[in-house]
Amino acid sequence: MTDQLTYPDVVTYAVPFFIAAILIELAWIVIKRRGGRYETRDALTSLLMGAGNVASGIVLGFVAYGFFMVLWEITPLDLGTGVWVVLVCFVLDDLRYYWVHRFGHRIRWVWASHVNHHSSQHYNLTTALRQTWTGTFTFMMIVRAPLILLGFHPAMVLFCGGLNLIYQFWIHTEAIGRMPRWFEAVMNTPSHHRVHHGRNARYLDANYAGVFIVWDKLFGTYVPEYEGEKVDYGLVHNIGTFNPLRVAFHEWVGIFRDATQPGLTWGERLKYCVMPPGWSHDGSRNMSEGLKRNYLAAHPEEAGTPGFTDVAGGR
Amino acid sequence: MPLHVLIPMVAIGIAGVTLLLHLLGRSERAFLADEAAARRAWLREYPDAVPTRVILSHDGHAALVETAEGPGIVWPMGADTTARFLRGAHIHRTKRGLRVDLRDFAAPCIRLTLDEDEADLWPTHMKETV
Repeated sequence: MTDQLTYPDVVTYAVPFFIAAILIELAWIVIKRRGGRYETRDALTSLLMGAGNVASGIVLGFVAYGFFMVLWEITPLDLGTGVWVVLVCFVLDDLRYYWVHRFGHRIRWVWASHVNHHSSQHYNLTTALRQTWTGTFTFMMIVRAPLILLGFHPAMVLFCGGLNLIYQFWIHTEAIGRMPRWFEAVMNTPSHHRVHHGRNARYLDANYAGVFIVWDKLFGTYVPEYEGEKVDYGLVHNIGTFNPLRVAFHEWVGIFRDATQPGLTWGERLKYCVMPPGWSHDGSRNMSEGLKRNYLAAHPEEAGTPGFTDVAGGR
Repeated sequence: MPLHVLIPMVAIGIAGVTLLLHLLGRSERAFLADEAAARRAWLREYPDAVPTRVILSHDGHAALVETAEGPGIVWPMGADTTARFLRGAHIHRTKRGLRVDLRDFAAPCIRLTLDEDEADLWPTHMKETV
């Protein structure tokens, strides 16, 4: 078995590119007076979240890697290190990303980690770097287990995951409208991902793709950017702080407060952890389906438009 | 990448981008031009809680909103805004106006710049939460 396989840590090597691209996007916005917005404290928070994400990877990365190496010891399969193996690994890891990302929006425990990425009301290249500090605690490394057990080396899987993250950097921009039609059909693009960052009812829980948008089309979560409604970025209830610690941990605190309320059954406490964001034991809050229904009740003429093609109206 | 290269690069990159943005005038706070703008900002957060009254601060950087569900505040989050109801809030007078402490980890405190009259008046509209 190829136990000692190593690949470059592509994300850290991409840091100079990230900084250069941010400066280029900012220059474009300043010179052209269009193509996005930047705000000092928002950008600073996003960049600090990115730095914290790298730091948490250094500190806690051994947990996932140790888990993967145990699986690698168990599996009798070894697909080797050929170029085609890496390409297949990249595609399958992107499928893995799609599901982890979907879980990240539909399971509050995982959302608690991912929410910070959506907590900016801006959408620029610094938003791409507003990454989680608490991903290890979601246990979503389990979703990578099948890849290791199929014979893809852990180092290769993490290498592909790094490339996936780098690909997703450039799609966090308003400076690019739409890519050529063939590209939009297959790949995740700025247009598709703007939809994903929308807090508008029509755009909630859509476009989970990392690299290939085909996964959303395949699994029924694709929503195109709609000319009739500009994307409003951020959270359904936007946060009121730029403090990175609060950004990183606010949803975890929210889960704790909800799940430890007096008078709940154990089932209700568990549901506060694992049901979609917005679930409540007394129905006093709205999940995305409810938000969409409420919006359609107020705007019935929007039924059948993107994001509302399979939502029943009425409250 | 070795940490002795990565750490300075990240630190310089973050500091440089932040300084550049500030020098380019990207630190301006959101300005609520009129009551309609404040109303829109409130409804953006709470579309089902229609304001019955909106009181704009003298500098246009915050608004006190009254609704059937209770009072709330709209305030800047950088160039954008956010809003919260004031249930359970604690209100303190400060040199520059008021500080509103909320029971919300994601929005723990609102610092309002108000003139003397506003700082006297606003808490009376928030009184159910004091």
